[in-house]
Amino acid sequence: MGLLHEPHDLQDFAAEARRFLDAHAAKAPDRTAFTWGEGDDSMAYFSSLPPEEERAQVQRARAWQRIRYENGFGWITGPPEYGGRGLTPVHDLVYDAVESDYDVADTGVLSVIGLGMIGPTVLAHARPHIKDRWLPALYRGDAIACQLFSEPGAGSDLASVATRAVREGEDWVLNGQKVWTSVAQHSQIGVALTRTNPDAPKHRGITAFLVPMDAPGVDVRPLRQMTGGADFNEVFLTDVRIPDDHRLGEVDGGWSVALTTLMNERATVGSEGAGPVAAALSPDRLSALMRATWTWDDRALRARLAELLVDAMATEHLNTRALRTLRGGGTPGPEMSVSKLMYGQNLTRAAHFVSDVLGPRIIADTGRWGTYAWSELLLATPALRILGGTEEIMKNILAERVLGLPKEPVTAAAKEVRP
Amino acid sequence: MTADESELRELRSSVREFLAAKSPEEAVRKLMESEERYDPAVWAQAADQLRLPGLVIPEEYGGDGFGQVELGVVLEEMGRALLCAPFFATVVLAAQALLASGDKEACARHLPGIAAGRTTATLAVAEDDGSWDPALISARAVPDGDGGWRVSGRKSFVIDGTTADLLLVVARTVAGPSLFAVDRETTGLAATSMETLDATRAMARLTLDAVPATLVGADGAGGRVMAKVLDIISVGLAAEQAGGARRCLEMSAEHARTRQQFGRPVGSFQAVKHKCADMLVQVELAEAASREAALLADEGSDEFPVAAAVAHACCSKAYMVAAMENIQVHGGIGFTWEHPAHLYFRRAKSSQLLFGGPAVYHERLLDRLGI
Repeated sequence: MGLLHEPHDLQDFAAEARRFLDAHAAKAPDRTAFTWGEGDDSMAYFSSLPPEEERAQVQRARAWQRIRYENGFGWITGPPEYGGRGLTPVHDLVYDAVESDYDVADTGVLSVIGLGMIGPTVLAHARPHIKDRWLPALYRGDAIACQLFSEPGAGSDLASVATRAVREGEDWVLNGQKVWTSVAQHSQIGVALTRTNPDAPKHRGITAFLVPMDAPGVDVRPLRQMTGGADFNEVFLTDVRIPDDHRLGEVDGGWSVALTTLMNERATVGSEGAGPVAAALSPDRLSALMRATWTWDDRALRARLAELLVDAMATEHLNTRALRTLRGGGTPGPEMSVSKLMYGQNLTRAAHFVSDVLGPRIIADTGRWGTYAWSELLLATPALRILGGTEEIMKNILAERVLGLPKEPVTAAAKEVRP
Repeated sequence: MTADESELRELRSSVREFLAAKSPEEAVRKLMESEERYDPAVWAQAADQLRLPGLVIPEEYGGDGFGQVELGVVLEEMGRALLCAPFFATVVLAAQALLASGDKEACARHLPGIAAGRTTATLAVAEDDGSWDPALISARAVPDGDGGWRVSGRKSFVIDGTTADLLLVVARTVAGPSLFAVDRETTGLAATSMETLDATRAMARLTLDAVPATLVGADGAGGRVMAKVLDIISVGLAAEQAGGARRCLEMSAEHARTRQQFGRPVGSFQAVKHKCADMLVQVELAEAASREAALLADEGSDEFPVAAAVAHACCSKAYMVAAMENIQVHGGIGFTWEHPAHLYFRRAKSSQLLFGGPAVYHERLLDRLGI
C-alpha cells in the first residue's frame, strides 16, 4: 500500500509539486524535534498577536497564496473556468502532504474558512458573474471570506437564525447580529444566513446572501475570548442593502446552501498537524517536561502519559487510514468525525496532564521556559470541544447517521422559529 | 502474499459465514462447559475448507504465506464470534514463536502439521504471577547429556494447555531464558485445567518434572524471541479485541434502536445515544490501531514496535469500555446469564490482562518511545 500503489499521475503530480516548492520555499525543520529551553515556547492555539503583527501575518499568507495560485497549486480542485486546476481532492491531499515538508507561510486565515468552505459554497450557488468576480480573487489570495452563520440565539442549532432579510425592489435589506465570526476583521466578503420567511418551518424560511463586508451597515467588532485574545468577531448588520444578484441559491432555499458550507467544514477539520498541536502531543516534549520538573518516575503520571499517547497515536492511525481510503478513490466512513472529536479531547487531556506535571507553575509565571506557556493551550481547550459543532452535536451525528439511532422526538416548542 | 481490499472483504465474509454456521452462541455456550473447550470437527473443517491454520504459515512450511493484515481479519471475526478453538494458541502464539526463533529445523518439524490443522500447539511463558517478562521466569532446563534437555518447573495461564499437542515452553538455562519444544505425550508432564474468568478460552497449569525437551533457537535467546513474539501476538490479540468490541457496539445499537421505554426507543434518549457514540469512537480507534499495526508489521516498518504497543493498549481499553457499556445499554437484561453480553465482558477483561495488563503495556510503550 502507501505511495507505491498510487496511480502514476499522482506520483507525477507530487513530483511537480516538489519542483515548485523547491523553487519557492525552504525545507521545514522537524517541528516535533526540539531541545528543552531552546526556541519559542509558545503553546498558543489561538493567535494573540498585536494588530500590526497580525496584519503582517495576513499579508504573508496572501503573498504565498498568490504564488501557489500563479503556479497552479492555489485551487487544485477548482474548475479551470474560474482559475482552478480541475484535479481531484486526492491531488489536494497529495499537495498538502508534500507542502508539509516545506517552510511556508501559514495560510490558515485564507484557507480554513474562505477557501475550504465559502469558495465551494459560492461555486455551487452563486450567479456566474459573482463567481467571475470573487472565485479567482479568493483563490489568488486577494480576498478573504468569512462565514456569517452563527448568532447569539443560533449556535449549534443553525436553522434558528433570526437575522432578517426583507425584499425592497431589486435589493434585500438585512438586519441582525452574527457571532463567532472568525477572520471577519480581515474579510472582503461573507456568506450570511438570513430569515426571509418567518412563517415557514424553520429550515425552509432561510435565504443565503453574499455580503460585501465594506457595505454600509456592516459593523465588525472583535469578541474577546477566554484566552484573552480576539480571534472571533461579532458582526452587526444594520439596514445592509444587498442586491438580489448576490443571493446564493433560491429564496427560502438557504438551508441547502448552508449544508454545502457545513459539509466542506467537516472536510477541512482534522487536517491540522503542526504547531502547538504537534508540540502538545509530542512524546519528546512531554518527557522532557517531566524530566525538567522531577516527575520523570512518577508512576501515576507515567500511566496517564501512556494513555494520552495511545489515544493520540491511535487517532493518527485513524487519519492515516482515512487518507489512504481517499487516495484509493474510496469514501472514508466515520473516521473524520471521530478524529475531530478525539482531536479536541486529546489536546484537552494533554493540557490537563501538563498542568498536573507543572503544578503551581501553571498558575503563575516563574519566567521559566516552557512552563507557564502551557496556560495558553489550557485556556484554549474548552473551545476545541465546541468549535465546528460541540462534542454533543458530533456525538448525536455519529449515533444517528452512523449507528442509525432514532432522533430525539421534536417537541412543539422546538418547531417554532424564534422571532 | 498480500491480499487487496476486495480479497480481504472476501476473506472476512467467508470466515464470518463459516463462524455464523459453526460457532453460533449456542455452540459457544455448549463448548465453554465442555472438557476440551473446542469442537475437533469444526477445527478440522476450518483447516480443510478455509485453510485457516495455514493462513500465515510461510509457503515453505506448507502454509499460504499471508501476513498479519490477513490474520487480523480472521482474528477480528473470531473475536466477534467468541470462537472456542485452538486457533489463537496454535497459530498466533506457538507458530509465531517458532517463526520468531529463527530455528529452521524446528519450523520444518512443527509448522507443516500446524498449517494442515493436524497439530495444535501453545506457548507457555507465564508462571503463577501471570507475568510475560522473561526475566521473571523460574522454570529451569538442564542438558540431559545426549544433546537434549530436561525442563522442570511450573507454568500457568497456558492457553489450551490441556489439549495442545505441542507445548513451547520458556525456561531458564545457564545462558538465560530459552525456548523449548515439549511433546504432549511425554513423561513427567501434567496439565490441569484452571478455572477461568473467560470460559471461552481454556487455560491450564503445567507441572514439568524433568520433562524431555528440544531446544528451539539458540540457548539463551528466549528473551529476544519473547520480545519479538510479544509484539506480534499482542497485535493478534488486538485484532480479536477490536472484533469483540465491534460486536458489542452492534448489539448495543440494535437494542437502542428497538427497545421501547417511556413510549420511545431508548436510543432516542441523548444519554444512551452518547454512550453508543462513545463506544463507536473506541471501536473506530481500536480498528485503526490494530489494522495499522498489522500493516506496519507486514511492511517490516521500524514503526511497528511502537504501533504494536499502541494497538495492545488501545484495543484492550476499547474492548473493556464496549463490553461494560454494552451491559449498561441493555439494562437488567444485559446482566443475565442468558444474554451474551457477559461472555464479551469476561473475554474483554481477561484479554486486557492476558499479557500483563495496562501497567505493563503502558511502560512498554513509554520504553519504546525512549521515555
